[in-house]
Amino acid sequence: MKPVPDLPVTLRVGGPLRTIERRPLPPYAPEVLAFLTALSKRLLTAPQTRLHPDIAAFAYWCRPANLARLQRAFGAAHARLGRGLALHIAPANVPVNFAFSFAFGLLAGNANIVRIPDAGHPQAEVICDALAALFADPAHRRVAAMNRLIRYPRSDAITGSLSQIAQARLLWGGDETVSRLRALPVHPRCVDIAFADRYSFCILDADAVLEASDTVLASLVKGFYDDVFLLDQNACSSPHLVLWQGTAKAKAAQARFWPAMTAYLEKSYALAPVHAVDKFVHLCATAIALPEAAASQRHDNFVYRVVLDRLPADIERHRGRNGFFYEHATDDLTCLAGIVEERYQTVTTFGIDRDALVQSIIAQGLSGIDRVVPVGKALDIGVIWDGYDLIGELSRIVHTA
Amino acid sequence: MSNRETYDSAFTETFMIEAKDLPGLKYQGVAAWDSVGHMALMAALEEAFGIEMDIDDIIEFSGYEAGQAILSKYNVAIEPAA
Repeated sequence: MKPVPDLPVTLRVGGPLRTIERRPLPPYAPEVLAFLTALSKRLLTAPQTRLHPDIAAFAYWCRPANLARLQRAFGAAHARLGRGLALHIAPANVPVNFAFSFAFGLLAGNANIVRIPDAGHPQAEVICDALAALFADPAHRRVAAMNRLIRYPRSDAITGSLSQIAQARLLWGGDETVSRLRALPVHPRCVDIAFADRYSFCILDADAVLEASDTVLASLVKGFYDDVFLLDQNACSSPHLVLWQGTAKAKAAQARFWPAMTAYLEKSYALAPVHAVDKFVHLCATAIALPEAAASQRHDNFVYRVVLDRLPADIERHRGRNGFFYEHATDDLTCLAGIVEERYQTVTTFGIDRDALVQSIIAQGLSGIDRVVPVGKALDIGVIWDGYDLIGELSRIVHTA
Repeated sequence: MSNRETYDSAFTETFMIEAKDLPGLKYQGVAAWDSVGHMALMAALEEAFGIEMDIDDIIEFSGYEAGQAILSKYNVAIEPAA
């Protein structure tokens, strides 16, 4: 095995790179489950977690009951082992994403080198401090020996050196970053899992919105808020387009949904003035660039809506941020075939038969849409992501016949 | 430890409150029982009783008394208070 070179990186958690233990474990190994359980407990009881619901969500995800559920769902059809060393290039847009990426690598049984983005997110420091404390505990010696969390300024030389010794890479970032990283020479057996730019949208059934009780409407609004505004509409799974099923009642449903959304935003969302300006500028640009934009409506400065009289095939190229939506009503969801391509990731739905939608995606052979989940679940990352079974991809089968 | 003691200590340790404050306690009744505190409480109860709660039960777990009825679905019987 090629030695791990000494590289000019900042070690955030774990010992020197050259001492990393690369002997893999099987998926869902007891050592790893014990480690993630301890991490979950430590983070859920840390006072700083109260300030960061995203840390709480990560900690809650790696609680033992959930890991046991994931392990059962993964099954034991084959004998499996981690691939070896997994290199993670984590994204800067979602503060706790590096922690999930790391957990996926661990659960699959790999040693991991995780490059944490230097984006100044306090969440990263809270999680790294918790990891460091657990690494110092002799009970987690094996996991500590196998893992390093590091920082270094963008450098193809360093990423290239690490790529040559990795059996798997998890590459998070925009198309440009991913293409550049994939051009680097890698270990011949290396498996790349690339999470490039994605596009997501939402389908709301007009009848369901109109018939919803006030309680159900309130939870729809809260869910939509979580999907969009927790990360300022910057996450790859946050919706940019809202499709209304049912043209006859769409206007009435919109007149119920958006004011409720705006009222919720007024009490929950700290709108930065620059974002209000950005949305206005984006609206002007849209009016020039998009002939299908028939009208627009603004709800205070919180929500901008652009009404589309037809769905342009390239709608995914027109995206706003911080509460900027394109909207279209339809009676026939097969219209999706006219817009969906590989970039499409998540569809969040309300009042829609999700199983039927999945079947129709398959029957039509669409080249995109990897996820159909209820409104409110857009940001719930998990071991099935971007169409990959991550634990399966990050481990290898030891087959016997 | 009785199931009641285990149940009570999940609350008192998660929220740093005293046993006498538990009867009648509801979600958001103390500052510590917010949405983050709720996740910590659910994780503590699942671990203490070795159970995996359904998402619906986690959402409906709205108070100290309501929680006892929910746990009974998982064959966890909380003894009557002494």
